[in-house]
Amino acid sequence: MIEEMRGLSLKIIEQLQHRGVDYGDVRVENVDLESIAFRKQRLDEAELQANQGIGIRVLVNGCWGFASCSGFETGLIEKTVDRAVDVARSGSCAVGGMVKLSSEKPETGHYDGPCVKNPFEIPRTEKMDLLSSTADIIHSSPLISMSWSYLWFERRKRVFGNTEGTLVSSDLTFTQPILIAYAVHNDDMQSRSLQDGARIAGWEWIEQVDMIAWAEKAREEAIMKVKAPEGPSGVMDLVLDGLHLSLTMHESVGHPTESDRVLGWEANMAGRTFLEISDQEHLKYGSDKVNFIADNTLPYGVASWGWDDDGVPGQKWYTVKNGIFQEFGSVRETALLVDRQHSRGRCRAMDFACFPINRQPNFYLEPGTEQVTPDDLISEVEKGVYIEGRGSFSIDQRRVNFQFGGDLFWEIRNGKKVQPLKKVIYRSKTRDFWGSCDGISDKRFFRTMGLLTCGKGEPVQSARMTHGASVSRFRNIEVGRGAE
Amino acid sequence: MTREEMVVFINAILEQASVPDVMAKLTEQRLATVRFGQNRITQNMDTFERRLRLTLGDGERQAVYSTHRIDMDAIPSILHSAMEMLETASPDPEYMPPVEAGQVYPVVEKWDAETARANPDDRTGAVAAAIETAERNDLEASGITGVSVDTTAIGTSTGNLGFQRSTSAFLRLTMDRGKGSSYRSINSVAWCDLPVDKTVEEVSQEAEADMNQADLEPGSYKLIFEPQAVADLVPYIAWSLNARQADEGLTVFTGRQGEKITGDMFTMSSMVNGIPKGVPFNEEGLAAEDAVWIEKGVLINQPCQRYWAKKTDREPLFIPGTLSIEGGEGSTADLINSVDGRALLFRRFWYIRFVDQKELSLTGMTRDGVFLVENGKIIRPVKDFRWNWKPLDLFNRIEILGTAVRKGQNSIPPMVISETVLG
Repeated sequence: MIEEMRGLSLKIIEQLQHRGVDYGDVRVENVDLESIAFRKQRLDEAELQANQGIGIRVLVNGCWGFASCSGFETGLIEKTVDRAVDVARSGSCAVGGMVKLSSEKPETGHYDGPCVKNPFEIPRTEKMDLLSSTADIIHSSPLISMSWSYLWFERRKRVFGNTEGTLVSSDLTFTQPILIAYAVHNDDMQSRSLQDGARIAGWEWIEQVDMIAWAEKAREEAIMKVKAPEGPSGVMDLVLDGLHLSLTMHESVGHPTESDRVLGWEANMAGRTFLEISDQEHLKYGSDKVNFIADNTLPYGVASWGWDDDGVPGQKWYTVKNGIFQEFGSVRETALLVDRQHSRGRCRAMDFACFPINRQPNFYLEPGTEQVTPDDLISEVEKGVYIEGRGSFSIDQRRVNFQFGGDLFWEIRNGKKVQPLKKVIYRSKTRDFWGSCDGISDKRFFRTMGLLTCGKGEPVQSARMTHGASVSRFRNIEVGRGAE
Repeated sequence: MTREEMVVFINAILEQASVPDVMAKLTEQRLATVRFGQNRITQNMDTFERRLRLTLGDGERQAVYSTHRIDMDAIPSILHSAMEMLETASPDPEYMPPVEAGQVYPVVEKWDAETARANPDDRTGAVAAAIETAERNDLEASGITGVSVDTTAIGTSTGNLGFQRSTSAFLRLTMDRGKGSSYRSINSVAWCDLPVDKTVEEVSQEAEADMNQADLEPGSYKLIFEPQAVADLVPYIAWSLNARQADEGLTVFTGRQGEKITGDMFTMSSMVNGIPKGVPFNEEGLAAEDAVWIEKGVLINQPCQRYWAKKTDREPLFIPGTLSIEGGEGSTADLINSVDGRALLFRRFWYIRFVDQKELSLTGMTRDGVFLVENGKIIRPVKDFRWNWKPLDLFNRIEILGTAVRKGQNSIPPMVISETVLG
């Protein structure tokens, strides 16, 4: 299949060259998807999808044109080439073109994402049985009112080629388990969920997660949470686990450091950033302990595709080093505009039908280098809250003023976790928050979350990336609850 | 594909399927948009997608198969893949056959032939106008404009056959300089009905008026919501309305049907052929109906899927792609003029999320314009701030409603909410 798709790409590139475009690229995709969802103890939906299509992007007089079609039908493809060129010409006549791509070395090759056990070869009955068992375990208490148990697999074969000689392909398998248990008690409802998310991996990721054990944990902790007292209000310390921090860093570090935001290209939708281009390499973003590493070569990371949708290879670099902001993540179109010579390889589209844009990479908070456990961090907290997992989240369009909840909360008093809590939120500002980080546990406590649903762009596209952190401590944060 | 070709394809699927229960949905979408930012075009696209979604059932179990590989020759292979999925599905204790025959689908006219041609020069011309105005006023324009051309054909093995086509034209525009900004979103069925020039001028003037924002002084204010601000809050009520989720204790509406849940001045309904128009049928092929969800603050109806409707002795009901909040008379400007004392005017909200789903409590930020109003006059812009509110509490305290206008797929009025403590 990949060879056939590479051949199709070459044919389309040839057509683009005949049209005399200044630059052209093509993405050919074939995606198989399987999803199985149990609502409570019943199969709610089992779905297979067979998706395929082509996206063609051209530059004419410095103006983009993009067109796509589903399927590989020759007649439709020819019309799609015409439409891409037509819209580019219309744009260049009306507004004029300003696109200047960074110069990148042409790439050739193929990348297979890690996958030990092909999930599409695991008998479907085994998947149904697993979900049925997890649902039975979750619902073994009458306090559990509802649950979702869900398996999702995707096999994405993609080819990218351009008129500069790049022709690359990838074969990626994405696997995601989801469990959510909802407990109802005394006119309240609280939930607890499995949040490790997706990986580029096969069935082995489902085995590693151990959904059966998680079903029991989700049930017990949802019940514990719904019966717990409400959280305190005031200024106090927070100890946050890696799954929780994955979302905090996504919103307050990943988005503000996107190059298209600083240029104003997201001003109408996802928003701008508080950062300036001139902040690169000197702005204090967090405490000295804070290092963020972007890594689109992380083997199981859901943004590790081999090459991005500009045909630029995956890379690893510091976004923040020793608390200092290093550089914006870029694509070929934005690199020169944010004072970089080359793209960081962050250009990705949701699928063949979408125009590729600047997306977050996989990135994580580097674990502490000294041997420090979560208990060590907690032992130095007089009054605070320990938060596991992610909950409610909101941040302003410049990525400064945020409010987060969590999935499970523990009161910390005099250096110990003393009781579970519910309904805890905290509020802070991006640089104050990361500046208050005074402890990061070591790599033994590192957890990652593979996110598939980062929304950005217009029309909105979902993108994928993996984040991670070890349990970390933050001092003097405003804690409270929402509307009374 | 023409209407006839789509119907022929659906019928061929229904005829060749070897199971008793079949539901087929064939969709086509052409989406042609221009996106811009920093006074330049950043995306210019024209996309086309054709998709089949096929649901098979054998009386005990169901499965879904979706594909882009659509032609008459592919039907045996499509059915083979769908059957493979069906054979491995677990039995469904809530199994429902396709909707019964005789569904009468309302005629919903929302098609404009000229818009369906998707002329790229219309879109790039609109963007050029926005950029030119922004540059003239030392502002930056960003946003998206485009047209969507959608066609859907559905068929069920019980004998229902439906077809719908629609066009939609839209512009979403921001202009800003530093922290001062404004935003407007306009939609219509026909491109020629979009008031592009008027909107560009308005946004430019409103952005200018948002410069030099002051801090919000803590205190009590009346709240004046422009229609967009109300439109940003309403979906969270709609998403919480579902009857089954309420019955399972998961939402604020548990056991509340027939009860007063908000104030007399809040009525929310869906009218399939209102403004804007909705859809004639849902994913299952069930015919759309008008519905009143909340009438003068009382919860009247809740969306309910067929299985739960049967189990709880309700009628199946769904939101037909449009919501309408009953308005009064007067524009936002009229509402501002009518307010005595101190108020805040809100243009739109951003990044709204549930804080507590069971309580229906939300958090979010203000965006693109908050203004201090005193005795009917706008005094100055105010810096954006975070809020934590319960929308049912806000709509319990409506003092004045203005005239409803189209906001996306909904009809929404501006409103004034009674004194609220902020800061």
